[in-house]
Amino acid sequence: MTSITLEDLLAMEANCDRDESVDLRSLDYVSSYDDHLMCPICHCPFISPVRLKCDHVFCQKCLVSAITTFAASRDDFTCPACRTPTGGVYLKLPRLLVNMCDEIRVRCPFRSEGCEEVAPRVFIQTHVDKYCGYRPMDCPLGSCGLKTRKKDLDPEGRCLHELHQCARCEGNIMEQDYKEHLDELCPNLQTTCPDCHTTILRRELKQHADTCPETIHSCAASKYGCPIQLKRADLATHEQTCPLISMGPYFDAQNARLDSLELTIRHLKQRNEIFEDGLANIRTTLAQSPTASAGPDDRATTSTPPRRNNNDPTSPNSQSQIDSSNQYTATTTNYLLSLHESLREEVGQLSHAITDLDARASMAIMSECLRIKEDMAHTNAAVSSIRMQVQWLLNPRLHQHQSSQRTGGVRTGASPGGHTPTAAAGPSTSTIPLRPRRLSDSGREGTKL
Amino acid sequence: MFATKRLSKELLKIKEHLPPGISIVKSDNLEEWLMDIKVLDENPLYLNETYRLKFTFSKKYPIEPPEVQFVTTPTPTSPTPASSDDNAITNPRRTIPIHPHIYSNGIICLDLLSSAGWSPVQTVESVCMSIQSMLTANSRNERPPGDKDFVSYNRRRPRDINFMYDDDNV
Repeated sequence: MTSITLEDLLAMEANCDRDESVDLRSLDYVSSYDDHLMCPICHCPFISPVRLKCDHVFCQKCLVSAITTFAASRDDFTCPACRTPTGGVYLKLPRLLVNMCDEIRVRCPFRSEGCEEVAPRVFIQTHVDKYCGYRPMDCPLGSCGLKTRKKDLDPEGRCLHELHQCARCEGNIMEQDYKEHLDELCPNLQTTCPDCHTTILRRELKQHADTCPETIHSCAASKYGCPIQLKRADLATHEQTCPLISMGPYFDAQNARLDSLELTIRHLKQRNEIFEDGLANIRTTLAQSPTASAGPDDRATTSTPPRRNNNDPTSPNSQSQIDSSNQYTATTTNYLLSLHESLREEVGQLSHAITDLDARASMAIMSECLRIKEDMAHTNAAVSSIRMQVQWLLNPRLHQHQSSQRTGGVRTGASPGGHTPTAAAGPSTSTIPLRPRRLSDSGREGTKL
Repeated sequence: MFATKRLSKELLKIKEHLPPGISIVKSDNLEEWLMDIKVLDENPLYLNETYRLKFTFSKKYPIEPPEVQFVTTPTPTSPTPASSDDNAITNPRRTIPIHPHIYSNGIICLDLLSSAGWSPVQTVESVCMSIQSMLTANSRNERPPGDKDFVSYNRRRPRDINFMYDDDNV
């Protein structure tokens, strides 16, 4: 099995000019068919089906119209059923499937013209083309423009639409209908009444049926259950004695009453439903906020004088009171409740806003603190470095001063310890007195954070 | 021709059987149908509510998608007068369900109703079921963003609107 591309399929569809006059989709399907034999696009049994790579089957024509209206580009066409990208189309399908679709029985499309033919779908085209006598054909006389049923066509090719006058009824009848008119339809034709066997004209048959004494009629009270059917002549005597006829007016009156009562009941039912709905609504509003309603409830009861006892604060009791109290109280309570609800909501919103503000303020303070702390650390470092420079500048002075005081230069070779910064130790080339150094060191450590 | 044939077949099937929660209200012609849908689970947003969908079919259905939107029925103003009771039978109250993809004028933003997402395999029944499940899956009690502007400015028909289908979670 080989597949062809979508483009080939479209080209094939465009090239094949079908001369089929029967639209298989608009046929009247007589036999019921399985849903699986139904094209998911047109919902008819498959008509020349094709298959996609994903194994979904469609009518060729349906698939082509789906491809041509596909929104995205044609290469991206996806299966209408499963949206799998599809590249190719298989034209060959199992014969079993094709046969099952073909043998579904349909009515001849010219049923309205009188053809009663029911045939398997595959043969209906042949039936219409060759055998159906009811297919409207163009009149052999080209200028006429009317149509004639195939079986009525004149073998010599004459136009059958010429008007003829009926000798009996003086109506104008087309030639093709003339014979039928003469034999069956002409209103001036003589017929016999099937009941009394008198001969009358066809057009008077209807009137005659109303008056014919032999026709069988049923009793006028048949709708009330009288089973009697008699000839018109005998019926009159029966109707004088029929008990059901004399009861008739009474039955009618009863029926009318029943109808009006039913109508009233229906109206009452509806009103009842509406009231019940309203009641249920009130109940749910009360049930939703039993604790919250306690406060405004009491206020509502004290403000309305018709309450019987308003000193019962428990909620079930107050609910039953509300049920029994009049409309005015209920609406006031409802109004107050809703007011209370909306106020609660507002308070909630406000507290929410306050928390929000609080958080924002503390965040701002924290970041400001951090910045200030950093600044302070910087300043500290600067101060200590200045201090060290001053120390260094002062060192030679101190040294001179000490050496001038002491007669001999006492040299302490050992440096005071690892704490000495190289910047201070390097250039001094002499021993540094322990005391001021230690002081400066400890001072710096103290200020550092 | 194609559309009427296919729709009359669908109508026959619908009158025979419909999935639970879906019912057909009006199908006088083969151009506009009204369907009622209910959400069947316990979703509190749509509990005990019935919504009405209007399908408008073009001549090219099912090759072209139908126009589908929610519609309202006028609410009876006061329940007491008896005259409005008859009205309540033929026209029960119908509202627009709340959903982040349904505008308050009833227009539905759903890709399978656009020409890009539509497939001719879809039927009225399958569209109803898709919308039913779209409601079932929703838990957000909100309208789409920009609903007010869209509703007051939009005079276009649903099929002429270009929606962006950005939410794959629905």
